[in-house]
Amino acid sequence: MKSPAFSYYQAKDLADAINIKKTDDDAVILAGGQSLLPTLNMRLSNPSVLIDIGSINELKEIKVEDSYLIMGAMCSHSQIMNNKEVNEKLPILNKILSQVAHPAIRNKGTHGGSIAYGDPAAELPAFAVLVNAEIILSGSDGERIVSAKEFYKGLFETAINSDEILTSVKYSINQNDTKLFFDEVTRRHGDYAMAGLVGSIKQNNKINEEINLVFFGTGDRPNEAPKTCEYLLKNEYNYSETKNILKNDIDFASDISSSSDMKAHLSAILVGRMMKELN
Amino acid sequence: MSYLNKTTISMVINNENYDDLNVEIRQHLGDFLRDLGFKGTHLGCEQGACGACNVLVDGESVRSCLMLAVQANGKKITTVEGLTSSEMEIVKDCFVKNNAMQCGFCSSGMLMTTYEIIKSKRKHSREEIREMISGNYCRCTGYQAIVDAVEDSLNKINVAV
Repeated sequence: MKSPAFSYYQAKDLADAINIKKTDDDAVILAGGQSLLPTLNMRLSNPSVLIDIGSINELKEIKVEDSYLIMGAMCSHSQIMNNKEVNEKLPILNKILSQVAHPAIRNKGTHGGSIAYGDPAAELPAFAVLVNAEIILSGSDGERIVSAKEFYKGLFETAINSDEILTSVKYSINQNDTKLFFDEVTRRHGDYAMAGLVGSIKQNNKINEEINLVFFGTGDRPNEAPKTCEYLLKNEYNYSETKNILKNDIDFASDISSSSDMKAHLSAILVGRMMKELN
Repeated sequence: MSYLNKTTISMVINNENYDDLNVEIRQHLGDFLRDLGFKGTHLGCEQGACGACNVLVDGESVRSCLMLAVQANGKKITTVEGLTSSEMEIVKDCFVKNNAMQCGFCSSGMLMTTYEIIKSKRKHSREEIREMISGNYCRCTGYQAIVDAVEDSLNKINVAV
C-alpha cells in the first residue's frame, strides 16, 4: 500500500496552479487529499505531479454576500462545521458534515475537493444538486459558473475542463419557506452510505407546493427523482408505491454492500422518514 | 515537463526542530515519522479507515497515512511520544485504569482523538464519545472500556482544571 512515484508542486497562487495544470494533462490537483491519497496508496491513480493548492489562502474563506453563502474550495469540513454564519444560515450543512467520515478526516478534507471529486456515494455533491449550488471554476480563460445540476456528468465525471480548478461553491440562503431534510443508511458511523437522501419541501399554508429529492450511494452520480416528487405532491406516502416509482426514476446500481433492490428499498424508507419529518 | 521526485523539508516534531530532512515526494507522513524513529505512530490500513496513524498537525488530528510528508513542511507535528501535557498524562492513566487497551495498536490513534475531545473543553455524552472515536478501529476491547476511559478523563480533567 505505497504510492507510485509522482512529483509535487506547491502552487503560489491560483494563476500559478492553473498554469501548471494547463501544461500537463496528467497533473492532479491536491486539495485535502482525503480521497486522493487512498487512491494513490492503492495505486488506483498515477499522476505525474500533484499540484498542492493548500497554501492559497483566498480559497480558505467562507463569505456571506447578498443572499449567498460562498464556500472557498479549500475550506475544511471542520472549519465549516465550526463556522457561526454557516450554522445560522445553512444549519443542515453541519448535520450533513457530521456524517462525512471522522474528525481527523474532516480536519483535512475540503468542501471543494468533495464537490469536484464527485463521488456518487458522497453527501456534498447530492446536497449541491438539491439546492442547485453555483460551482465556480477558474481556468486560463477566466472564471465560469456551472450549476450543480449541470455539473455531474457520470461516474466521477464532472464539467471541470483540464485547465480548470474549482475555486468556490455558492449556496443561496434566501429560502425561508423551504424545509430541508438529510438522512442516510450506513453500515457504520462515518462510512459511505448504502443509500442516502437529501430532500426539500416548499409549503404554502401547510400544503406541499414543491418537493425535491436527491439520492446518493444509489447510482453513478447524485440521482434526482422527478417522478417520485410528482407522485408525493399528489398522494400520501406509501412505501411500495414509492419504491416502484423510484425504480422508474433511478437506475439503482448494486455495490459491495447492497443489491439494487436493497438500495431501492432503503431509498423508499428514507423518503418515508422525510415525509414524516417535514410534514 | 520534468519534476523532482525528492526534496528537502523541515518541521517541528514534538517541540524539537528537524531541519533539512531528505524525503521522497511519494512518502506519506506516517512512514516518514516512523523512519525518523517515532514508532508510536502505527500504520494499519494506509487508506484512512483505521485511525491508528492519527497524529496532530498544528494541533489538529489528521491521518498521517493520508498526508504526504512534503505537505507537512514547516508544520508542527505531535506524535504520541509528544502527548506529555498534564492533561494527557491524566488521559493515559485513565486508559490504563479502565483497561482501555490490550494489544496497544490502536492506542496512539485513540489518544489523538481523545486529545480532540479534551481540547473542546466540553462534556461529551457516551454517545458523542462513540461518535468521535468512530474513526478509530479497536479489535480488542469492544470499545466499552475506551468510552469508559474517555469519560473518566473528561471528569478528572474538569476537576483538575
